[in-house]
Amino acid sequence: MVGFVLLVAWPFAASIYWSFCQFDLINPPRWVGTEHYERLMLEVREGRGFGLALQNTAYYALLSVPLTIMVGLFLAIMLSWKIRGQAIYRTLFYLPAVVPMVAASVLWMWLLDPQDGMVNYMLGWLGVPSQNWLTQPRSAVSFESIGVLSGWMAGDNRLLLFGAKDALVLMAVWAVGNAMIIFLAALGDVPESLYEAATIDGAGRFRKFWHVTVPMLSPVILFNLIMGLIKSVQTFTTIYILSEGTGQPADSLLVFSLHLFLSAFSDLEMGYASAMAWVTFVVLVVSTLLLFRSSKNWVHYSSR
Amino acid sequence: MKYRNLHLILLAFALLGSLGALQFFSPRQVDHPQNLNRSEVLFWHFWGGADRSVVDDVVRRFNESQEQYFVRAVAMPGNNLQAKLFLSIAGGDPPDIVNQDDPIVGDWGWRGIVQPIDQVFEPHEMDQLKKFLYPAADRLGRFDGRLYAICNGIDVRALFYNETALRQFDLKPPESIEELNHIAKVITPPQLENPDFFGYLPDSRRLWAWGQAFGGNFYDFDNHQVTLTNPGIVKATTWMAQYGLWYGSDTINRFRQGDQSLPGKTFPLLPIGDDTMIGRYVMLMDGQWRVRDIDAFVKRRRERNLPCPEFGVCPLPYPVGGRPDAGWANGNFFVIPKGAKNPSGAVAFMKFWIGLKKPDEAAQTCAMGGWIPVSPQVTAAAPFQDFLEDRPLFAEFVRLASSVNQIPIPVIPGAPMFKREVDRAAANTMANPEQSVRGILEKTQATIQAKLTAIRQEEGR
Repeated sequence: MVGFVLLVAWPFAASIYWSFCQFDLINPPRWVGTEHYERLMLEVREGRGFGLALQNTAYYALLSVPLTIMVGLFLAIMLSWKIRGQAIYRTLFYLPAVVPMVAASVLWMWLLDPQDGMVNYMLGWLGVPSQNWLTQPRSAVSFESIGVLSGWMAGDNRLLLFGAKDALVLMAVWAVGNAMIIFLAALGDVPESLYEAATIDGAGRFRKFWHVTVPMLSPVILFNLIMGLIKSVQTFTTIYILSEGTGQPADSLLVFSLHLFLSAFSDLEMGYASAMAWVTFVVLVVSTLLLFRSSKNWVHYSSR
Repeated sequence: MKYRNLHLILLAFALLGSLGALQFFSPRQVDHPQNLNRSEVLFWHFWGGADRSVVDDVVRRFNESQEQYFVRAVAMPGNNLQAKLFLSIAGGDPPDIVNQDDPIVGDWGWRGIVQPIDQVFEPHEMDQLKKFLYPAADRLGRFDGRLYAICNGIDVRALFYNETALRQFDLKPPESIEELNHIAKVITPPQLENPDFFGYLPDSRRLWAWGQAFGGNFYDFDNHQVTLTNPGIVKATTWMAQYGLWYGSDTINRFRQGDQSLPGKTFPLLPIGDDTMIGRYVMLMDGQWRVRDIDAFVKRRRERNLPCPEFGVCPLPYPVGGRPDAGWANGNFFVIPKGAKNPSGAVAFMKFWIGLKKPDEAAQTCAMGGWIPVSPQVTAAAPFQDFLEDRPLFAEFVRLASSVNQIPIPVIPGAPMFKREVDRAAANTMANPEQSVRGILEKTQATIQAKLTAIRQEEGR
């Protein structure tokens, strides 16, 4: 209890107060009212600072979380098949989740090297031109990409689609092990009788997956969705290493966590950083509540 | 099944116990009996790698020379030092002396995080310091006319070049911007697709250096105004962005990413394979620490009887209206945190390290670490002159360090943010060379100015 109060409750409460203060950690906090919140709103409107960080974080979260869940589920289903070497495959696919983030980041910097990286080399096999990855601010899912695609279709041999944020998404999907292992455990709990009933009803593999597996796994999908969302907002180490602590190229990697870190510990704007943390916390709470509310329509609990 | 679990639990405890027992066998720092009569000076620093042993050696020599103080060095490599320092000050238990290398002197001085040096040095020592330090070393520690930090090592940048490769292309080191452009274009013609190496490519992080060489000023100290739109800075940025137009920003970005992928951040000027004489660049701006990399490379090649290119160093060329021997100076410096318990011990250690009383001691340190001294007196001392004798490349850096045109990032409150924003602006101009350079600089100037004004207007300061 003492630990909780000192290490969780007190910092939690103090940061609310600091968010209304000018505070540099050293000198006493000075009350400035809602100044920091007004600045945050202004930055959101103008799409710079916190606004830009939110946009970048949203891009990363909206792509990485669903992709991680889809890939995790797909791998879990495959790894549940009773085949020779099942344990080895499970270990291999889980391994990336336990690789230290710093090592993984450096490894990915090599893999994504635009000139000599293995990823571009493999894309070459598929006939996809080399991508700029970590050096390109423009992302694949953007209006500009439509122009790039139409230019390529019109004969321009450069198809530079994937940028720095897409590289981050790729790395998140690579480390899918945690979501996968949860799905794998949940798959074991799906009653065999449901599949047998579906088989008697004439359902094929896909219908069994869609009408039995997915509904039975929906509570776990909800769990992974919420945890993935929170994790994507907290992602820091990888981005710090990839962008050398700057958010480059062209601020495309300036995500919420990095912006908060730089504001608090480089610019010593602890009050502003606290306000930022609180706004993001509220955004996360609202998103989680919305997910919970929507879950009534798509999550099925077997006990009900 | 139950017994099996019990075995596993016992095994886990046994492993934990073994790990705990290991600490009894690990080496630990044992205070020398003599230390009990001396007051401890707690010294935090960021040094790691090969430099750590040099720092430990300075501490050892200081402790051996002392009857009054005993320095206990605590290494905090990485980015932890700053956050830990703030927490230690807030908690009332800061170290006595800290070694730093980020542009934080103005910011920390303004916020009262560090003590002004004139509060801990005698007035005559302050006069002595003023004459003792190189101009760049003095500037690095001075905020609003007052010294808040004492520099213990200067970092300067110059153009390294592969002389063998230049000769191969019938070129010589540049003495003007036009010559540098010519070198770049002859070695790597702009129309060349996927070049293996570049003659020269400006690096957006080096606007701080080129801005000085082009005669620009980043800040007007008298009026507290950011001056990114002054002609020198605009000219330097436009010149850098021009390379983006010649080669294409995509090509440059792709090539630059390859530098990051070199094993152990190898110096990209150095050839990588045994059968090549040219690295990723023929000419590259970097700091004096790269001389060590070149020496090691040359030694390796000679040991294996492989042909080895010759390397050289020259100052940054400059246009008409620019400055000779100019560049961006930064370095390492000591600060005494607010609330330090043993400032006099910290002062004694600082003086020892920089060689204020005994330049020979500091010269020995600089020679050992391959560091540039902070004073001409240390440079002139015999141990450092011996070191320079067979290192002409390093000697050029030492000469540049004494130039009045080696300028640090403005020592003002908000300097880390200032640096970050300027670096971003330079990167943006190179990534989007078709955009108006002046427009980008104007926008950045307004952003920085607004933040700096807000910092200055904070009450109670």
